[in-house]
Amino acid sequence: MHEGPAGASSDGAAPVSEPKAKEDAAPQKASAASRLNPSFTTLVRKRWRGWLRSIHRDVGYLAVGLTVIYAVSGLAINHLQDWDPNFTGFQREYTIAPIGADVPDAEAVARVREALHLGVPRDVYRAGDELHLTYDGRTVVVYGDSGQVTDQGQSPRFFLRVANWLHYNRGKKAWTYIADGYAVLLLYLAISGLFMIKGKLGLRWRGLLLAGLGAGIPTAYVLLSGGPNANERKTADASAVAPSAGDDGDDNEPIERPAPRATTPGPATDTPGDDGDDDEPIERPPVRTPPR
Amino acid sequence: MSRAWERRQFLKTAAAGTAFLALGGALVRLAADDLTRDARAETRADGKKRLPPGQRVIEKLKPMGGDEGSGDVKDFRLRVHGLVKNPFELDYAALLKLPQVEQKVDVHCVTGWSMLDGLWKGVTVALLAEKAGIKSEARHVIFEAAHGYTANVLLKEALAPQAMVTYRLNGKPFARKHGAPVRGLVPDLYFWKSAKWLTGIRFVKNDEPGYWETRGYNNHADPWKEERYA
Repeated sequence: MHEGPAGASSDGAAPVSEPKAKEDAAPQKASAASRLNPSFTTLVRKRWRGWLRSIHRDVGYLAVGLTVIYAVSGLAINHLQDWDPNFTGFQREYTIAPIGADVPDAEAVARVREALHLGVPRDVYRAGDELHLTYDGRTVVVYGDSGQVTDQGQSPRFFLRVANWLHYNRGKKAWTYIADGYAVLLLYLAISGLFMIKGKLGLRWRGLLLAGLGAGIPTAYVLLSGGPNANERKTADASAVAPSAGDDGDDNEPIERPAPRATTPGPATDTPGDDGDDDEPIERPPVRTPPR
Repeated sequence: MSRAWERRQFLKTAAAGTAFLALGGALVRLAADDLTRDARAETRADGKKRLPPGQRVIEKLKPMGGDEGSGDVKDFRLRVHGLVKNPFELDYAALLKLPQVEQKVDVHCVTGWSMLDGLWKGVTVALLAEKAGIKSEARHVIFEAAHGYTANVLLKEALAPQAMVTYRLNGKPFARKHGAPVRGLVPDLYFWKSAKWLTGIRFVKNDEPGYWETRGYNNHADPWKEERYA
């Protein structure tokens, strides 16, 4: 606030200070106005972090459902080799009296049903020495010659079957766009998370440390493992040390290799009939969109 | 006791516990894996190691997912077509009437497991090719399966004696999750080439990368060269 000389208006002089006082009041009014109605840039400067947090919170809520689906399904299908993430199944073996090829179909089915206490099958199929009895989610296969029976079935796992289906995007169509949208939301969550808090707990110290660690883990893994071309290099090295038959270690050579020997009962890889023509070109059209 | 110390203590304990469990689990797994150790010591008739690099032996096939076909023998049809003189279609009964082979072979999954000495029964692809009369310009074979799945294999490898159209493993039918009623079998390539829920065999001149081959997996898939990824 402007402070006039003391007694300036009390010395009987003309009140020259009135217009000046009005001028002085203008910035005060402007300041008050800007406080009440700040410009957009001022607002952004002052409040962006708060908005970031608010949007982060709401996007987080929005992403919960999809994150649960992708994370749980990701854990499930990441260990495909250890379990069946989609179905629970069973397989039982029995032996019943052999059923000759001369036994009529209806009679054969009746014998199997009686021996195994089965209900009426949804479908019956007979070919060669095989008799297939189909039930909902279950198939009983009888080998008539030996009387051996395989009873097997499966039922889908609750939630995981659907979650995995979504994760693999087996359905295609609109889910592709939903998954794209979700990926964008995740990007927002990741990037906005960096700037939500300022100071030591933000990017200045803890945030930087942990974000660096998070980026460092995949980087270190790629460097240590050799990355996507590690196997090619390993193969090339191995070939350079001990070339196998027909392989000179040239990565540019065609990928064809000799056909197995017809007389070898186990897997074999060379045949006298192979012309050893490794110069045959690889004919490979541009990658096309797969049918599913 | 300060709050910071409590947090640090917690983090240390959690890290130590995780490391202990991981190491313990890995040791138990390694110690118990006799099958893999034995297989690594064996050599095949062609001079290759019996177990390709990076593989571990398991006793039963693992279901690896996929869009299942009907699984019902009644629905099964196999089209043999493409560059052939006499395209034809087989149902399950007709397949059983063809000359059958039963052979012990090893299979190797790209995810790292191998199943050895499975006894597979079926009909060789070579026999189907002969029956159809493949044309001389055919260079590749496309295994077609339910829901449009395909896997491409070089003609030479598809006509190898071990390459089959198979419907029985160790005397039993396949479970639906393993490709019932009929699946392909190309044992010297990673197992995704052995298409489950088989519906067709197509002979072509130009290669056509299949489902996994267009998703970052290797076009050829030789386990001994660890051709896992493109």
